[in-house]
Amino acid sequence: MSSLIDYKNISIFLSGHSVLNIDHLAVPAHQCTLLTGKNGSGKTTLLKIMSGLLKPNSCTVHYQGLDLPWKQAKPYIQKDIIYLHQQPYLFDASVADNIAYGLYRAGESKSAAHHKVMQALDWANLTHLAHRSAKQLSGGEKQRVAVTRARILSPRLLLLDEPTASMDSDAKQQTCLLLQRLKSEGVSIMLSSHETHIIEHIADRHLHLENGSLKHIKQATTSGKVTSLNTIKNTP
Amino acid sequence: MNDLSQASLNAFQLLFSGNDDLWEVISLSFGVSFSAILIATPFALVIAFILAFFQFPFRRTLISLFNTFMSVPAVIIGLTLYLILSRSGPLGDLRLLFTSKAMVIGQIMLSFPLLVAMAHASFQSADRRAWETAITLGAAPSRAFFTLMYEVRFGLIAAIVAGFGRVVAEIGCSMMVGGNILHSTRNIPTAIALETSKGEFAQGIALGMVLLVLSLSLNAGVSIFQGKGELQA
Repeated sequence: MSSLIDYKNISIFLSGHSVLNIDHLAVPAHQCTLLTGKNGSGKTTLLKIMSGLLKPNSCTVHYQGLDLPWKQAKPYIQKDIIYLHQQPYLFDASVADNIAYGLYRAGESKSAAHHKVMQALDWANLTHLAHRSAKQLSGGEKQRVAVTRARILSPRLLLLDEPTASMDSDAKQQTCLLLQRLKSEGVSIMLSSHETHIIEHIADRHLHLENGSLKHIKQATTSGKVTSLNTIKNTP
Repeated sequence: MNDLSQASLNAFQLLFSGNDDLWEVISLSFGVSFSAILIATPFALVIAFILAFFQFPFRRTLISLFNTFMSVPAVIIGLTLYLILSRSGPLGDLRLLFTSKAMVIGQIMLSFPLLVAMAHASFQSADRRAWETAITLGAAPSRAFFTLMYEVRFGLIAAIVAGFGRVVAEIGCSMMVGGNILHSTRNIPTAIALETSKGEFAQGIALGMVLLVLSLSLNAGVSIFQGKGELQA
């Protein structure tokens, strides 16, 4: 399976302590990667570095045939990669305006954005929430609105930090359904989660973060089936 | 008591009879204070945002300095500016002393620390995820800054109103660098001080009422605005 983006020599020190020290991380195209690790193991830090939101001490990015230092790669990765917080932040506006936010930034006209927003809401079965204040939504609804807001921008890679944390089982199921549909549309996904039993059926790969290093737990075969692997330190 | 009632009655008559001198003082006062706030606010907001969102050497010292300058008496600012703008001062050649421009500069110096300190507190309380979300959704940093300002708009408006309230009612700085010159630099506070010292209470009370109405209107406006925000939250 070809990789969408490769990160090499990722290292970051926070408050003088080494948090991550990863030789190579390859994100496969059109696959879902599950990232696990204990609290404080650096999952969020890794996802934020990958999305261009957090500057690492060192990192080289191989993307679209270019080998670039993280700083130079940042504009490219921010264009195609979207990061979703554990508890997504929705702006103080209606659900429809939240979903349109990225479209307006991309220079879409109001009528074109409105049309796309309505389609996206329909895709996520959220049409009934279009005019509700985003601040009044439940945690599960917020997560689904955030996923829809990301999807409308057609990202190549979606990074989700604990997308099903603090949700009831119904909300978890609906969020997983949206992620499954995103994956089937060809969006690469990488998500961190403690709830492996919920995410495992979507995930093609399973990486585990421990002591700042990545270990493979499971990897998809070329046929798409998932097989267990012995733990291999720092291999893509 | 009768004197006070008579003076208040005269004040109303003055206000509503369209007394040119009185309304000239009012318009100059508002013009100077609005100009000062209009100039100071954009710079103060950017500095407040940088102080809240970025780490750099002497950041905490700068925050402490702005907090300290917030409570510097207006007359000290006026004295400093007087020395700078007076003939023998470093900017004496600009001949700004006793002009409304000098009053605007003085009021900028007065309002700036207050605007920075209060806006900093608002940005500090902002959710960092708002900034990160705007960036990850493709907003340029300048656009993300406006998005963040919208998210903390209630605090920022309260800061601007407080800044305006501080400068529109100050007397020390305006008196020192403006000189209280009729038809040129006489504003509401300096006019009240002058009229009261002459025993002309009616004009003083009329101008005082304008300030009071302004203050009440601003506070009511902010309360209504913040109330709407609470309902949405």
